Amino acid sequence: MDIALSTLLSPIVLFFLLGLGAALLRSQMTIPEAFAKGLAIYLMMSIGMKGGVEISKGALGWDAGLVMISAVALSFLLPVIAFSFLRLTTQLDRVDAAATAAHYGSISIVTFVAAGQAVAAAGLEAAGYLVAVAALMEVPAIISALVIANRGHAHREAVAGSDKGELVREVLLNASVVVLLGALVIGWITGEAGMQSVAPFFVAPFQGVLCLFLLDMGLSAGRGLRNGWRQLDAGTIAFGFYMPLISAGLAAGVAALNGMPPGDAALLITLAASASYIAVPAAMRLALPKAKPSVYLTLSLGITFPFNLILGLPLYIWLARMVSPGAA
Amino acid sequence: MHIRYRCELIIERMAAPRACRILEDAGLTGYTVLPAISGFGGVTRWSRDTDMSASSDMVVVISIGAQAQIEAALTEIERLLSNHIGVLSVGEVRVLRPGRF
Repeated sequence: MDIALSTLLSPIVLFFLLGLGAALLRSQMTIPEAFAKGLAIYLMMSIGMKGGVEISKGALGWDAGLVMISAVALSFLLPVIAFSFLRLTTQLDRVDAAATAAHYGSISIVTFVAAGQAVAAAGLEAAGYLVAVAALMEVPAIISALVIANRGHAHREAVAGSDKGELVREVLLNASVVVLLGALVIGWITGEAGMQSVAPFFVAPFQGVLCLFLLDMGLSAGRGLRNGWRQLDAGTIAFGFYMPLISAGLAAGVAALNGMPPGDAALLITLAASASYIAVPAAMRLALPKAKPSVYLTLSLGITFPFNLILGLPLYIWLARMVSPGAA
Repeated sequence: MHIRYRCELIIERMAAPRACRILEDAGLTGYTVLPAISGFGGVTRWSRDTDMSASSDMVVVISIGAQAQIEAALTEIERLLSNHIGVLSVGEVRVLRPGRF
């Protein structure tokens, strides 16, 4: 209860709610687009470097490798489950359901960042390699979803003007993968000394920048919800709430099997429960252009992201504590 | 002044490189891509500041050329628009330097 209250009343959640409320009330407030993109890159550089520095302090063991393999497997599996639920409980066609499922198998890096703050506030510690896990979980869900969408259409005609390498470039070299993994490697190479040299920029202002970014996320989520909610039926809206819980349950099982400490488990559970709204939508526009962005974006950004940020994080930390062997 | 044809394609940002490839393959010697700010179509209202991925952003691709080149591009653009969100219009325009188009 204390964790739930402290998460709900944290500046990052309150700023998110401010943005969400302002957008729903049709406020004209905006954060300049280029500035918001700069903030996203800053946050990814910061957590990437911090993760790399943590890794540099000790060699990665087999246990970390097993977690990475499990996380990738989970990311392949989640779209299959999401797709089945969407087809059973909603009116979405195969392509829309597959595109939406891809979002729920991939991850939201902003939810991960917020989870890192909530985990620290709960007095738990998380290993640096979880940043690499986050980057690894971006892509497999896209592959699963494409396989699902193309089943029975082995010779689907190529879209006019398409280039063979464009999807691979978009999926493997999108900004979040490049910046996260790049900053992780830089943090790993430069270690604690390198981090100290950039700490006044990457460490001290982090919380404030995150507040600013979440204010913008609140505006985006609110506007997305306001513009797109008519596209969603009751079953689809319900999916936005229950799918993160199913994913969290499966990730909790993975965490328990791997004997992960509670801080690490909380982050893995959050990654599985989160839904992408940056990397996957772009990939889906190229790979499945007939899928409706008003469905999958409204669902992942307008429903699941606020749900995870406000109610999910305390729940996932509690779940992590339940399944971790060394939990208090 | 000389008569040429102006093709104006409003299309989702992610598909703009595909549209540009089609224009180049059709032999058009130039095009310009402009960002679109907001709009409404079908049942969907969109604006640039709604989507962090910018995958829902729209752009306007403008190209001017001879009738044969524009017509060559139109067939492929029609195929492109059977998959992607977009609107195409073509109109007659007058240009000062015909050798450029």
